[in-house]
Amino acid sequence: MKLSRREWLSLAAGWGAARRLKGDPAAPPLFEEVPPAESGIAWVHDNARSKEHYLPEALGPGCAFLDYDNDGWMDIYLVNSGPCDFFHPSKALRNALYRNNRDGTFTDVTEKAGVGGGTFGMGVAVGDYDNDGWPDIFVTSYGNCILYRNNRDGTFTDVTRKAGLETPGWTTSAVWFDYDNDGRLDLFVCSFVDYGGSAHRNCGANQLGRNYYCIPRFFKPTASFLYHNNGDGTFREVREGTDIARSLGKGLGVVATDVNNDGLMDLFVANDTVQNFLFVNRGPDKAPGSRGRWRFEEMALPAEVAFSAAGQPRSGMGVDAADVFGSGYQDLFVANVDQEMFSLYRNQKNETFRDVAHANEVAQATRLLSGWGLKFFDYDNDGWLDLMLANGHPDDMIESYSPTVKYREPLLLFHQENGRLRNVSAEAGPAFSRPYPARGLAVGDFNNDGLLDVVIGVNGGPPVLLRNRTGAENHWLGLKLEGVNANRDAIGARIRWSAGGVVRSRMKNAGGSYLSSHDPREVLGIGSAAKIDWVEISWPRPSARVQRIENPPMDRYIGVKEG
Amino acid sequence: MLAPRLLLLALLACGLAAWAQPDATEEILKQAIVLHQAGNIAGAIQAYEKYLARRPDSVLALSNLGAAYARVGRYQDAIVQYRHALKLQPGYPSAELNLALAYYKTGQTETAAGMLEKVHRAAPEELQPVLLLADCRLGMGQNKKVIELLTPFAERRPDDLAIAYLLGTALVRDDQPARGQVLVDRILRHGDSAETWLLLGTAKLNAGDFPAALADLAKAVDLNSNLPDVYSYYGQALLRTGDPAGATAAYRKALAANPYDFTANLQLAVLLTEDEKIAEALACLGRAQQVRPNDLAVRYQLAAIALHDGKLDAARRDLESIVKEAPRYTEAHVALATVYYRLRRKDDGDRERAIVQKLNAAAQVKQQQGVNVK
Repeated sequence: MKLSRREWLSLAAGWGAARRLKGDPAAPPLFEEVPPAESGIAWVHDNARSKEHYLPEALGPGCAFLDYDNDGWMDIYLVNSGPCDFFHPSKALRNALYRNNRDGTFTDVTEKAGVGGGTFGMGVAVGDYDNDGWPDIFVTSYGNCILYRNNRDGTFTDVTRKAGLETPGWTTSAVWFDYDNDGRLDLFVCSFVDYGGSAHRNCGANQLGRNYYCIPRFFKPTASFLYHNNGDGTFREVREGTDIARSLGKGLGVVATDVNNDGLMDLFVANDTVQNFLFVNRGPDKAPGSRGRWRFEEMALPAEVAFSAAGQPRSGMGVDAADVFGSGYQDLFVANVDQEMFSLYRNQKNETFRDVAHANEVAQATRLLSGWGLKFFDYDNDGWLDLMLANGHPDDMIESYSPTVKYREPLLLFHQENGRLRNVSAEAGPAFSRPYPARGLAVGDFNNDGLLDVVIGVNGGPPVLLRNRTGAENHWLGLKLEGVNANRDAIGARIRWSAGGVVRSRMKNAGGSYLSSHDPREVLGIGSAAKIDWVEISWPRPSARVQRIENPPMDRYIGVKEG
Repeated sequence: MLAPRLLLLALLACGLAAWAQPDATEEILKQAIVLHQAGNIAGAIQAYEKYLARRPDSVLALSNLGAAYARVGRYQDAIVQYRHALKLQPGYPSAELNLALAYYKTGQTETAAGMLEKVHRAAPEELQPVLLLADCRLGMGQNKKVIELLTPFAERRPDDLAIAYLLGTALVRDDQPARGQVLVDRILRHGDSAETWLLLGTAKLNAGDFPAALADLAKAVDLNSNLPDVYSYYGQALLRTGDPAGATAAYRKALAANPYDFTANLQLAVLLTEDEKIAEALACLGRAQQVRPNDLAVRYQLAAIALHDGKLDAARRDLESIVKEAPRYTEAHVALATVYYRLRRKDDGDRERAIVQKLNAAAQVKQQQGVNVK
């Protein structure tokens, strides 16, 4: 048998990944850090750290993969701090947009694109809110948010005020999703705490005689925001009268998903020091006098995702949702602060969940860690979802109080094997032994090799770009979905595919992680199978069409337009 | 806690002169006592048992056999002998104290305390039952009772370090650090001791200064790792400074020294439950419950495990009882709401959930008040 060069390379790469997972130290890493000198990403996050220790300093930054110029290559957006009432930087600070040069390098196009921000930025949510086929950028902040509409020519326009999305206060993660299935992306924005007006709060001197970051329990909780897309470039705030307005939280992470498979997108919100929220979308409120209001029922406690198993609120930060174990229902994940352990909630198919973090090595691995950005994705295209986590303690002085908890913490990587997650961080390469004060984490395939890469926002440092080196022994198909009647980004679509006699499915959720936004394409791994027999896409309402593609081409990205 | 130091074998002092006309049977008893005094406990036990087979109503032999059993850790057997002796001769000297000690050693602290109260009332100036009673009360978390009991003794015996230590511990645990400090200073005058560092560490632990508490308690461990409670508090400091593995090891050491250390049992059970080592957690909670049968935290942990195991009716019963006694126990309300929802009793679940929200909102307001405004 003669192998083609591509086949030989694939086999060689696959052999390397297998060796790495078997603990061979000479094997190539699963993920390899791409240094700034190689990537061209010279931007560095300024955390604005002061001796007063104002809490917003500790929480950023977010990051995103997006294809802002629609050239088929993932670009990168990075959020920075900036001037605000307690921070007056001596030099100009800005967010950064890096255009993908299609050769593994990036070029800073921020100035030309006009997306530099100017607020004390926190996170980013990318979505095509005007259904024009071009991704728009929403930036959350301590201070007003910003909506950048894509001008389709490499530039953006700040349309925040016109859109009605100024959103005061302190916002963190945000997510674009179509809650009312009208084919237009609406927006949910997590509100963190009431940080006060001019009277900024800190927690005074600690045992070291220095100010320290307040634990958020000292601040008042707030209600998050829900904006309805009016379809004319404007939004209407619609939380009033809903459980979203009634539920005062300290939101840091959000994912939009459908936990009960009713075709309506729900929201899972991670709150810091208060209970998490699960806003289950019940459709139009039929109560008298509701005047078209939508009904979200907050049911985290009945669903058993509100508190720890010991009945206590935790410091929820990062979240994600995915059908991790192939049950057909969406499971949930939340990362917390050290000593609290992270939770992997398995969907019981009846709007309740059970924490299975321990059985999946997650609880044990995370007891001493504080988790922020995280994402379920199939990094080796074996058909099963894996998990990556970005960690770091929020308090830069933690090591003075605790002999075991560190400010900079390692990344974690879990590989799914036989229906369980296994912690493979120790085998994943040097990037997983280096500690970072990591925050946001976004997943995207920046080199279009079908292997999902990762970018991580680092508090007060340069971002970490991780190139996926797991090899190409598993075949894959990348889908870029384009809704027509459904929302253009196809948020809420369900994808089923059959390969090698195995049928798998995935839902196109939105959000997840922390302050970050991901590659909108879906990569379908098929493990050892040679090809995909068929792919079926159930488009979200108002379309509700089911579209089937027989024998799609393999190992490449294809666009699928709703039809 | 101080039991080893207080273990009394006073009954052995009962003279051999009591035997006016020694016969072969009495020779067995005499031999048993000689063996006992010589430290040959196994031989003594054998001899006492042989003697009691012939003279089953010998209070002296029963009491001594109880003491021998206690000496080798057979406390349950000791209890049987002591109780038999006391049934035959109520108020028999030392038997009550030794029985109390055996109860204490088997975690029946409440029963032990009851007996010690009786002994103390009979001989109010006897120090040993007082110290043991104080130790029981500390184990039961009855700090105010300890203060009440020991304060007059401390005034009369200002140089007694055992009193100073126990009273100081009670004061520190009762959040009276200033009064406790006076006693700490008194102990400090006698030099660097494990007891001092334990007291100081405990005070800092209570004050929330966990790193400093850890440093003090580490010194206490270094100076005397056999000091009662030292590993229990060291474990707490390790846990509070983010070292659950270290805390687990410390709690295990605490329990090796005293299987009925309430705090070590409870805290270790919590850690074990988090690690889903439920059987071992239940064993710890069982021992903790022996010491403090009605402790709410122990009962809550047991109910939470019942919920975890899907024993919903048992969990509901226990949680309903807990929240009735402690209506502000938020975690218990959370668990009870969960139980009701799982039992499909939505209205009850909603009611509990509303209580949770109210309690958490009140806690939030309280927490907000704890911050400086710059």
